[in-house]
Amino acid sequence: MTIAPPSPTLSFHSSLQPHCLARHASVGLSERLDPIPPYGAVLWLTVARSAPPASIDQVVSDFDGVTFHLSTPESKSKILISINVKCFKELVQYGAQEVLEREYGPYIVSPEPGYDFSVQIDLENLPAEQEAREEMIMKLALLKRNAMAAPFERAFDEFAKLAEEASRYTSESAPQGIKEGGDVMSIHYREEEAIYIKASFDRVTVIFSTVFREETDRIFGKVFLQTSCRDATECASGALPQHSPLELEGVPGVKHAGEGEMSYVTFVLFPRHLTPQRRYDSISHIQTFRDYFHYHIKASKAYIHTRMRKRTADFLQVLNRARPENEERERKTASGRTFRVQS
Amino acid sequence: MSQSLRPYLQAVRASLTAALALSNFASQTSERHNVPEIEAASSPELLLNPLTVSRNDTERVLIEPSVNSVRISLKVKQADEIEHILVHKFTRFLTQRAESFFILRRKPIEGYDISFLVTNYHTEALLKHKLVDFILQFMEEVDKEISEMKLFLNARARFVAESFLTPFD
Amino acid sequence: MSQINYRTINVDQLDPESSVNFPMETLLPATLPQPETSSDAANIANQVRQLLRGGDAEGALRTALDTAPLGGDDRAKEVHLATVIEVLQGIRQAEMARVLEGVCGADGGAERADCLMKYIYKGMSSSSGPGGAKSAKSVSPQSTGGFSQIQGRNLGEGGGGQQMSVLLNWHEKLVDLTGTGSIVRVMTDRRTV
Repeated sequence: MTIAPPSPTLSFHSSLQPHCLARHASVGLSERLDPIPPYGAVLWLTVARSAPPASIDQVVSDFDGVTFHLSTPESKSKILISINVKCFKELVQYGAQEVLEREYGPYIVSPEPGYDFSVQIDLENLPAEQEAREEMIMKLALLKRNAMAAPFERAFDEFAKLAEEASRYTSESAPQGIKEGGDVMSIHYREEEAIYIKASFDRVTVIFSTVFREETDRIFGKVFLQTSCRDATECASGALPQHSPLELEGVPGVKHAGEGEMSYVTFVLFPRHLTPQRRYDSISHIQTFRDYFHYHIKASKAYIHTRMRKRTADFLQVLNRARPENEERERKTASGRTFRVQS
Repeated sequence: MSQSLRPYLQAVRASLTAALALSNFASQTSERHNVPEIEAASSPELLLNPLTVSRNDTERVLIEPSVNSVRISLKVKQADEIEHILVHKFTRFLTQRAESFFILRRKPIEGYDISFLVTNYHTEALLKHKLVDFILQFMEEVDKEISEMKLFLNARARFVAESFLTPFD
Repeated sequence: MSQINYRTINVDQLDPESSVNFPMETLLPATLPQPETSSDAANIANQVRQLLRGGDAEGALRTALDTAPLGGDDRAKEVHLATVIEVLQGIRQAEMARVLEGVCGADGGAERADCLMKYIYKGMSSSSGPGGAKSAKSVSPQSTGGFSQIQGRNLGEGGGGQQMSVLLNWHEKLVDLTGTGSIVRVMTDRRTV
């Protein structure tokens, strides 16, 4: 399984401070909820710090096969940022275009060939205040997050509508449509993996399907998922690993998870996660699940590997103790002269 | 050390000490060959009765002596899937380095997790009691290592799950 | 006949002179006791059990070891192994040393000690209980949820742990008494039990 490295190679003309990179590149246990792609650092330098404009032409990879292209096609002061998402068609179907227009309205330009969506910023025409600039950078850095957020936003809206309708009925008399909730939205964001989202009147269900290539990954994943499960009872937003969840019945393209490599993780977002104040964070956070999860599996494997390496070295040392030592054999003749025994 | 582990290791130590009495013995089936008879198994009279020391169904040692070589196979305790995979990974890790662990057999015999092959050349070059020490220490440490790795994995899983779910609280 | 791949035939096995076909019977001493059947072994088992019930642990062990079916068939050996293990399990830990000294100290005691050592190893090699089926190599799937995975690994004994620990205790006591010599004799003696 290949995962885009957390910090793809960045070789920009402008000098990058390492700490700046590290802060933005770590998706793992970062204190921020937003998944910030590494090019945020560049924008930061050029826009916020008013570094001299330089010509850029750089492709940056992010998780889930997403690629960004930063370039200055016309002049050094105009930066074009394009994004390519594997499942962009599906996202548009669930309202990605509207979300992106809402977020990036004035900056949108027609998509660069080979990419799905492009924005362009003019360095000579930036907001005057530092704060506004920083805000803009953040926004641009969240291109992927915002594109992926569309189906979540739609599901949350749908939930709000259904909840309102449902409140007018008792649980028995509710019409079929409300009880069943909305349609399942599926986003095939990776080659074999997908996110399924379904809104109901009392919750939003988010299901991740994930593939484990190796037996080890599968078992480590199981440990991690079981633990999340256990904690979920305390944290209430439930993560339940299961084999082909009920919600996905009848959805085309759902593989059966028997003994295979596929497993499913279900998150149930309850009304308190869906309030307008919290929905932004909820969406940002849940998107990172897969990367976070797989990152920690890999990290555990790496740690265990180092441990074994060390232990093996220890064993070797013990085994080598079995070799008899070749002590310096120095002997004396009767006359008192010393000589060495030739071995 | 747990109560039942001591007699187990003691029995393995005694059995190994008895079994590691090897002499040079040229093959009697092919001229100018000198092979570990326990592996060649070409002459039944050169193989001795195998000894098994077992602590329970999941932990046992099989000692197969012959005139010039002894094969020692260990079965490590594996209570569940995680331990199984950890033991598997660990033993594979070791066998891939069998070159430097000169007494390690590159493939365990069936039903066991790891095998050693000690020949008369080893007992000639190495100190026998230290070899026995090595195998015993190996048995102890593997067990310890596996449980520590398992604990680590669980601890990390718990921490990771908590920190991912906390923002939803 | 043309179906048989002649390359896979082990020709050594067809050669009476080959070392693969070494006549193992010639290694057995001429003084081997008469072959026994499983019913003989069962009779002895009854006698031994009576002695054990009568409180004569030492006598029971001595009888069991003296009557070991060295020339018997596999079935007789299985039955006798069960008898010996029963005796060993029936003797309290505190009495072990005393019984052993009694059994192995008297005339012909060394023979009995070797015989006991053979039974200890045989008992440990048969998987769970005498004559029990070899346990299938299986790994129990981890229970879902629950805290089971955090439990210490060394709490639960695997199957057969009880019997093994009795045998291991006897092994330790016997090695104290006879040294590794009797283990070597277990390996080299072709008269198996």
